[in-house]
Amino acid sequence: MDITLFSPKGTHSHHFFSLSNQQLQQSNGDQIALDMQTNNNNNIQPQNSCHTSTSRSSDSGEPCADTTGGNKWASKLLKECARAISDKDSSKIHHLLWMLNELASPYGDCDQKLASYFLQALFCKATESGQRCYKTLTSVAEKSHSFDSARKLILKFQEVSPWTTFGHVASNGAILEALDGETKLHIIDMSNTLCTQWPTLLEALATRNDETPHLKLTVVVTVSLVRLVMKEIGQRMEKFARLMGVPFEFKVITGLNRLVELTKETLGVKEDEAVAVNCIGALRRVAVEERGAVIQMFQSLKPKVVTIVEEEADLTSSRYDFVKCFEECLRFYTLYFEMLEESFVPTSNERLMLERECSRDIVRVLACDDDNNSSNNGNGDREEEECERRERGSQWAEKLKEAAFSPVGFSDDVVDDVKALLKRYRAGWGLVLPQGDDNTSGIYLTWKEEPVVWASAWKP
Amino acid sequence: MPEDTIPNGFVQNSVIAGSNNPPNTAAKKKRNLPGTPGKLYPEAEVIALSPKTLMATNRFLCEICGKGFQRDQNLQLHRRGHNLPWKLKQRTSKEVRKRVYVCPEKTCVHHHPSRALGDLTGIKKHFCRKHGEKKWKCEKCSKRYAVQSDWKAHSKTCGTREYKCDCGTVFSRRDSFITHRAFCDALAEETARVNAASSMNSLANGSISYHFMGTPLGPSVAQHFSSIFKPIPGGGADETIDQTRQGLSLWMAPGSQGHETVGSNLTEIQQLGSVSSEAMYGDHPPPSDYHFNWVFGNNKQSSNNAAEAPAIVSASLPFTDVKEAAATASHHHQLVSVNVPSLYSSQQQQTTTHQTQAAAAAANMSATALLQKAAQIGSASTDPSLFLGSLGFKCSSNINQVQDGNKYCGLMYCSNAITDRHLGNDVEISSASDISSLSQLQMPPPAKRRHLQSDRQAESAGGQTRDFLGVGVQAISCHPSSINGWI
Repeated sequence: MDITLFSPKGTHSHHFFSLSNQQLQQSNGDQIALDMQTNNNNNIQPQNSCHTSTSRSSDSGEPCADTTGGNKWASKLLKECARAISDKDSSKIHHLLWMLNELASPYGDCDQKLASYFLQALFCKATESGQRCYKTLTSVAEKSHSFDSARKLILKFQEVSPWTTFGHVASNGAILEALDGETKLHIIDMSNTLCTQWPTLLEALATRNDETPHLKLTVVVTVSLVRLVMKEIGQRMEKFARLMGVPFEFKVITGLNRLVELTKETLGVKEDEAVAVNCIGALRRVAVEERGAVIQMFQSLKPKVVTIVEEEADLTSSRYDFVKCFEECLRFYTLYFEMLEESFVPTSNERLMLERECSRDIVRVLACDDDNNSSNNGNGDREEEECERRERGSQWAEKLKEAAFSPVGFSDDVVDDVKALLKRYRAGWGLVLPQGDDNTSGIYLTWKEEPVVWASAWKP
Repeated sequence: MPEDTIPNGFVQNSVIAGSNNPPNTAAKKKRNLPGTPGKLYPEAEVIALSPKTLMATNRFLCEICGKGFQRDQNLQLHRRGHNLPWKLKQRTSKEVRKRVYVCPEKTCVHHHPSRALGDLTGIKKHFCRKHGEKKWKCEKCSKRYAVQSDWKAHSKTCGTREYKCDCGTVFSRRDSFITHRAFCDALAEETARVNAASSMNSLANGSISYHFMGTPLGPSVAQHFSSIFKPIPGGGADETIDQTRQGLSLWMAPGSQGHETVGSNLTEIQQLGSVSSEAMYGDHPPPSDYHFNWVFGNNKQSSNNAAEAPAIVSASLPFTDVKEAAATASHHHQLVSVNVPSLYSSQQQQTTTHQTQAAAAAANMSATALLQKAAQIGSASTDPSLFLGSLGFKCSSNINQVQDGNKYCGLMYCSNAITDRHLGNDVEISSASDISSLSQLQMPPPAKRRHLQSDRQAESAGGQTRDFLGVGVQAISCHPSSINGWI
């Protein structure tokens, strides 16, 4: 059964989709009646099916696979399963898990991959083995993790996709503008991008017309994986700064587990320094109830600017509603996986590594209950910030405003830089600026019209 | 003085450029600067247009119908159409006197008639570029331009250039090139190679270090960084390198030769050094720039040269504190491996390994080099024990006297500083730079030595980080010229 899909997006998808499903039902009477709701806001489904249908037929010999309908069979099944788990419907759970297991594969197309990784999380949830699974996944990752592999991975990712560089360009622009004219800069960096943000900033500092300021970079590490490679990264940064002619000091803080414990003293912030706090993908790792406190802590550092970059998904407000959380999680990671698929070459090893990283995060969000977590570790010692519950930009903005931060709009120059950046990548990426006059927090990177990354700048 | 009257919209101020005194004298001084019409066109008419007029597109107005034209030729063509009687057909002046234009911006160099520019389009572009709003923006890289033709020219080449890393990877995007460079193994290797090379080759060419000392590299260096990341099109690299080479010629092998000669002639450099040391201070050689062009893909550069260059550059300062030398050596390593700035990074960390290196290196110096250095040092009040120590005669005790650069900065640069610190030493900085005085320095009484050392220790408490160039807060404030008889 061939599904010819060539309509790009929008209303057409509905049409095609329902057609294909009718065909589906007709030809496979004994199939489970799949929910025909195409309630996904995802307009990109038809496009993806173009990809998926071709690859599926080669990957999976199962007649089932071909006939489970072009779009989003994975999404359907997964949601069903999530509902079943929430309803504690054992037999249905078993059945769906079995089905998913048959169809899923981490080496297949998008649907198969999503099915595979979410299946893992659902399984852990159903068997309440999330924490253990997460630990296993993490230790496996650590074993194969090295500076070389991490560097290769992130540089390649940045080459093919602006997912991270978007935040870098916006933040660097905001930092440079806020600290313009200062002679002693101190940047507190809490990011998950392994300092790839800083070479371009160093170069910008070096090529300014006036005196090159002194830069102190303090990196706060809360992820054990990153800790391993930080030493090497630090050396590279120092060398590069010397190369650039920027007086530079590099420091790593690894001792502490939770961001909220940071103080001006532990960070080594001096009175005469102009401080910038740079947070990329870090706030979401903070335990939900501590987030306000962490933001307050930023205030205590008296920064000139705080740059926050986060991925646009809400896995926090629904954390007590499994199904809702699941659906949001699925939506986000579907976007992400599709983005990865379209950005990398099909045989890319880097893409595989990135997907595996996602699998850990997915298990963490869906199968590890925060409450259980802290009580299970008898000594109450939560090892790391590993929460992974993202929030949308608007939610973060609210928290920041509560802590008396006010948003700083990105200047036209920075916006132009971001636009120029996006032009250097493949089509599909877009930029959404705050409409409205209230200086709304931040700009969004969009992938096929869906906002995926939020970047913002704040001043106390 | 005849004045031309031109209808409407012109603010004109006719001055005969040649008749003013300042222009003449100014023209004599600044022969090579743009916009010096005095000599060339002594009878030229200086025109000062207002910014509005300058930027106006239709400056040439028809007196009959008032229509405006961009060019005079166009206006003349138009006037023919009015069927004017023969008399009025003629241009208003018999011959066109050469006109030069001044920039309306008061703070601008070209505001003065002596620096007027001869070309109207030229002055327009100048005004735009320097004082105008940058309205034109490159889409690809968002670089801004005030003059449309500049923008067009840039757009043609933007994104077509390629950046090549040492490791061989080629990038079309500058930002990914920069990020790659920061993490590239080639960076690490370069430093390692340089370290190895310098330990063998640091023949401590005193003259070279002198040159460095005198030059506050700080700000000027930073400005040259953009060239680091300049892509290497065929001709462009040569240009930048040539510029730097000129600056370097004082201390490098003859600048007209290629890079290849850089590493080759240490003796030549030594001779060069001694001869040109006087001239050195006026210059701001950006050696870093030069090195950067190497590393950033100047394909002419062989790895040999990179290794050799450090030899020259890492001239430790054997006659100074070993620590200084150590710092020097270490910073030189970095310098050559394309690191400019030893200017800033703290060197305290790099003492031990390099100290031994420096000391060992110093011991390898040839007799010629020693003599030369001695001559240069003259009767400077270096701590003779240190000098000797760095020469390999006596190392151990002085190595531990790691001191901040204050004193040495003083020693090397500022005569006043030296006299301040020299604690009643009878060795003064005199113009006599002969070996005999040096030999006097060689055997200081132990008491004095101790005294110096303890003083130094006291000073190091105040310690400022001093890099090998001695360029830092203090150095910049020291005028090289205040070192009398030093060089």
